[in-house]
Amino acid sequence: MYKIAFDLAWKSLIRRKTRTLMVIMMIALSLSGLLFLQGLYDGMVSHMINTSIRSDSGEISLYAKQYRLEKTIDYHIDDPRAIKAYLHQSKEIDAYAIRLSGEGLVATAHKSLGATLKGVRLEDERRFGDFDTFLFQGKFDFGPKKQEALIGFKLAEKLKVTTGNRLVFTAQDASGEINAISFRISGIIKSGNLAVDEGSVFVSIETMEQFLALPNSATQIALRIKDKSQVNSIQSMLQKKFSTLDVLRWDELYPLLIEMRDMMDIFNWLSYAIVFAVAALGIFGVILMSILERMREFSIMMAIGTPYKNIRYQVISEAFIMAIAGYIIGAILGLGFLVYTASSGIDLRYYQAGLESFGLNAILYADIRYHYFFQAFASVFFATSLSILWPLHVLKKIKPIEIIQGKML
Amino acid sequence: MKLTHISKIFFPNSLKEVKALVDINLTFEDGEFTTLSGESGSGKTTLLNIIGGLERPTSGSVFIDELELTALSDKQMADYRLRHIGFVFQAYNLISVLTVRENIGFIMKLLRYDEAKINKRIDELSGILQIEDILDKLPGQISGGQQQRVAVARAVASRPKLILADEPTANLDSKNGERLMKMLRSLNEKEHVTVIFASHDRYVLEQSKRIIVLEDGAVIEDR
Ligand SMILES: Nc1ncnc2c1ncn2[C@@H]1O[C@H](COP(=O)(O)OP(=O)(O)OP(=O)(O)O)[C@@H](O)[C@H]1O
Ligand SMILES: [Mg+2]
Repeated sequence: MYKIAFDLAWKSLIRRKTRTLMVIMMIALSLSGLLFLQGLYDGMVSHMINTSIRSDSGEISLYAKQYRLEKTIDYHIDDPRAIKAYLHQSKEIDAYAIRLSGEGLVATAHKSLGATLKGVRLEDERRFGDFDTFLFQGKFDFGPKKQEALIGFKLAEKLKVTTGNRLVFTAQDASGEINAISFRISGIIKSGNLAVDEGSVFVSIETMEQFLALPNSATQIALRIKDKSQVNSIQSMLQKKFSTLDVLRWDELYPLLIEMRDMMDIFNWLSYAIVFAVAALGIFGVILMSILERMREFSIMMAIGTPYKNIRYQVISEAFIMAIAGYIIGAILGLGFLVYTASSGIDLRYYQAGLESFGLNAILYADIRYHYFFQAFASVFFATSLSILWPLHVLKKIKPIEIIQGKML
Repeated sequence: MKLTHISKIFFPNSLKEVKALVDINLTFEDGEFTTLSGESGSGKTTLLNIIGGLERPTSGSVFIDELELTALSDKQMADYRLRHIGFVFQAYNLISVLTVRENIGFIMKLLRYDEAKINKRIDELSGILQIEDILDKLPGQISGGQQQRVAVARAVASRPKLILADEPTANLDSKNGERLMKMLRSLNEKEHVTVIFASHDRYVLEQSKRIIVLEDGAVIEDR
């Protein structure tokens, strides 16, 4: 019985190629749109998170207790050598960066602004988060005498300085003395992390130790964890081990990113729902049409004795053959889009200014995750099921003879 | 086959009430070639539909070989139609996505005839109905007269007890109408199928062995 219905469904599809292809393409296009949208949203979010992790927090950061509340060098980590030795041999930790930062005033001849002076080792930062890829202009180098600095691009814009210009940084040292130090700008950093781009000047950690009169000290030790799924357990392990320090995860350090991600998730769902609704409505319309159009034919079939369940099975088969074909094509198309945008990105430089204030780069890269394809499959399945419910209901209700005689519809 | 006290009232007890059939009593023998005739609105189609189990009478019964058709459920009725009754409607009888051959074989397929038997029967019928040349065409690619002949082939293919045809020639020109009737008549003689028409078409009446005339839902003549 089912074989006959399936056979008829198949013939209906291949002998009305235009309509069949239209429905399949409709499903495929909306599906690839859904996939693309999701990948792009997720890509935006993970890009923001990734940028913050790479340019600052790592997956986990260690601070002296109190430092997070009151960012003064009074709360620094004394002698990080023991910690460093431990981190060095730890198998869970991929890379670490020891930083000594101080708040102060950065000034040109014309203007001064509040900023953070960060003492870092460029080699460590490179290993830690490919920090050199954030270099926007100039050299990734503190010069032979370590008297050169890298500056966030927004801060540079505000100060109207560029590479080669001089800056004076003023801050209180450990003994309460106000000191000033002058740097030449060797390079400009554009990371996508607002805190870095808008308020940081990077200098060598040795220079910083001298300037603050804090030899062999650190304000932050940031860690990159090998196995991202182990972050929580490593955090509690480290907290136990270094009980005098604060051990914080990136999401605790950047709660705004999590809020942003949640907001993006809502956006994502909303646009998914809208695209889905439009697509489902389209699919519904075409399937309904294709059945109403054949009402007389189905009536004749029923009049000559074809059981209703045969016709139902035929309609279901037709719809799902198209859905599956549409899914396969849509998934391949969507995957194509995603792979392309995951590697090459979409250039949105035209909207650059707006996007950067969200901590986004001008080029967006998509994420690709397995669950997109399961979700998309479920969506297509759901939309198709919805689309045939009403037509089947209509078919079940009709009196074949009235349609054959033209008394109904 | 016997009809006893068949009445059909549409929209009973309302302003639109129509008494389409009033107390019809008729008997049909196997192998008959009969036409229900009468003016438009006299109840021909309604009676044919009741005989075919496509419509239920308001009162009365249809018996076919001891089986009370009117007592069956909708589903049983559909199965009965499939097994024992062949239909030819006025036009557009065919499934548009199936070829002529597939259309003729459709009922036999539903009845699970094997492929060889189906093909043998199709060859047999296409000879009689002169449709050998169009077996692989789709209904949209053949003429109205050819379509009606294919519909006849499908209706008789599984050798049902009864063929019911409502105005099968109405959409055909006189030449094609005559041709269809001649072929039906020869099938009636060769294969001994029972055929009942509803029609006021001259060619149909000329070929009929028995003519039942209806007026306002009642039989006024049976010859
Ligand atoms: N489904 C229906 N609902 C309401 N009234 C109906 C219905 N079918 C038929 N009738 C009415 O019943 C009466 C008989 O109709 P029927 O179709 O049987 O006539 P007919 O003899 O076949 O006419 P024609 O030659 O025009 O086909 C008519 O008055 C018609 O209007
Ligand atoms: Mg009629």
